[in-house]
Amino acid sequence: MVRGSSAKVTSERFNETHLAVVDAVDYYLNSLGPKKRSFIREIFDQHHYPDELNDAMVSLGLFGALIPACYGGTEAGLLSMVLAMERFSAFGLGNTLALLITMDTMAILTGASESMRRRFLPKIASGEIKTAFAITEPGAGTNSFELTLSAKAASDGTEYVLSGEKAWITGVDRADYVLVVARTTTLEEIKRSNLKRSFGLTLFLVPTNASGLSKVKMSTVGVEGYNQFQLFFDNVEVSSELVLGEVNHGASVLFSALNPERIVAAAMAVGSVDYFVNKAIEYAKERVVFGGRSIAHYQSLQHPLARIRTTQEGARLLTYEAAQAFDRGTAPQEVGTYANMAKYLASEVAFEAIDRSLAAHGGTGFVLETEIVQMLASTRLSKTAPINNEMVLNYIAETELGLPRSY
Amino acid sequence: MNIAVCVKQIPDPAAPGRLDPNTFNLVREGKLVMDDSDSYGVEMALQLVDRAGGGEVTLISMAPNGETSGLRTALAMGAAKAVLVSDPALGGSDALSTAKVLAAAILRNPFDMVITATESTDGYTGTVPVQIAEILGLPAVSFAKKVTLDGNKAMIERQSESGYDEVACELPAVVSVTAGVVEPRYPSFKGIMAAKSKPIETLSLSDLGLSADQVGAAGAREAIVSLRKAEARQAGQIIEDDGEAFAKIIEYLEQLKVV
Repeated sequence: MVRGSSAKVTSERFNETHLAVVDAVDYYLNSLGPKKRSFIREIFDQHHYPDELNDAMVSLGLFGALIPACYGGTEAGLLSMVLAMERFSAFGLGNTLALLITMDTMAILTGASESMRRRFLPKIASGEIKTAFAITEPGAGTNSFELTLSAKAASDGTEYVLSGEKAWITGVDRADYVLVVARTTTLEEIKRSNLKRSFGLTLFLVPTNASGLSKVKMSTVGVEGYNQFQLFFDNVEVSSELVLGEVNHGASVLFSALNPERIVAAAMAVGSVDYFVNKAIEYAKERVVFGGRSIAHYQSLQHPLARIRTTQEGARLLTYEAAQAFDRGTAPQEVGTYANMAKYLASEVAFEAIDRSLAAHGGTGFVLETEIVQMLASTRLSKTAPINNEMVLNYIAETELGLPRSY
Repeated sequence: MNIAVCVKQIPDPAAPGRLDPNTFNLVREGKLVMDDSDSYGVEMALQLVDRAGGGEVTLISMAPNGETSGLRTALAMGAAKAVLVSDPALGGSDALSTAKVLAAAILRNPFDMVITATESTDGYTGTVPVQIAEILGLPAVSFAKKVTLDGNKAMIERQSESGYDEVACELPAVVSVTAGVVEPRYPSFKGIMAAKSKPIETLSLSDLGLSADQVGAAGAREAIVSLRKAEARQAGQIIEDDGEAFAKIIEYLEQLKVV
């Protein structure tokens, strides 16, 4: 039997929708059979996330999970998305675009006008519109309040003109719109007027084919199946209808979207642990080195895997807790604590899992056909993106332990 | 347009199967799943009903122990209801007995077409579809790779060894479809939730007016008399490529007279 997800999804903890989502995802993944491996090759060798998998996630109702039924969504909730992404990732098929779409959906739900919601949400749920997210700039990563890409209102107020640069923007070539965080009040003005650092940012849903917007592919590794781009905004005109939330108050909309992003990232990392551990188990049971017994009998192999499995379950429960709190409508601050803890622990254990899986495989682990070593960069990236684990610890130290801000 | 689709529930092909040492029949205990080859018929039926603008798809199945797991999958795809025949006396049924039972169950509801797979993935006799047609006194069109409707006729492209036949067939008829006929949908979670409340009528032999001696091991006209392991295939010939391997491969293919 093929080992898949180690998550035990039973009716004691989960509702009917969650159970049905898991059934549907499992049915789909089972029906793929050996095709799963060819998808892995497509993602990691051809650097292309299969359209068929994106289409399946749409059909399964996952891209509409956060979207209310009145906007064409499935209302399955973030926990359903988490359960589903864990299962895809347990076969090496995690999808960064799903994470971005979940995040953008949340931003639209929080910030968009009614007409914008009606225009975009049904098409996101049906897969007609895919979205990317652009906040990072060459000079503004974790310090996102330093971003400088400017948006200036045209004199008649019907449109804005965007100028500047973004970098490390994932999947723009596969997206129809990109959610751009731009500055509508300069940093100097904020300092001069003694405004809050979070003031002055505005969100725009910019069509990826907008005139004046150009992209250059970056030579990055890690976001497997998608490319990352530098984006150049050369006086890109964007209709003021495409502003999400209030002008200058984009940060508050943004913060509502960060939790789902981290929670889905955690789910993918938790799921990937199954992939690496299952690979290790499968190989260890076959591999005989000394004395006629397979290496699976050795404690030096068992203990690391058992420890990883234990930490994984801790990360999983944190992820579920965060997703459940989000679905219940708990205050973002409170969700944020669990979301950050989940993202931290999940990415740490995922990286440990790939390391121990490679150790279990010996030289075989470094053969591409074993389909582990090509995931090293993406697994390491999960500790750095969407937010690096050092910043997560800063946040937890400050908010949970009441320690002074350290950065 | 009402369509009856025969759906076999079989042991999960992903788990190793087991044969009963006495009867040589496949052990069918525990959870069964929808035979993958039936998903094409379910999908075809759903599409035809959809295009006809009305009607429903009814699933027909025969399985031990009141098993419905596989039927729930097909209901989750969109079928409206199911008829399940489950009776201890059906154990050991051969293909003809199965066809008798399925035919009797099909007659419980009005239908314009019966769709089946060409054969099951656990039995492979491939005879049940035409036997059903014979019992119901209906035309049978086997190996359909495309099915469309034209008034009261089904227009069918029937796969043959050299290509395909175009067949026009009055309805009602029994049509067996290949895996190429349509791409089956997979159930969405909404479908799975909806399927839980869809009706499955479970019937015994007596409900169908059949007696135990007509079916099951008692009524079977075929019996498995012995089993042996398939012969291991001979190792293939390995040609090391020293730059001239293509010539050897061509030579080999010429020997086989395939080029």
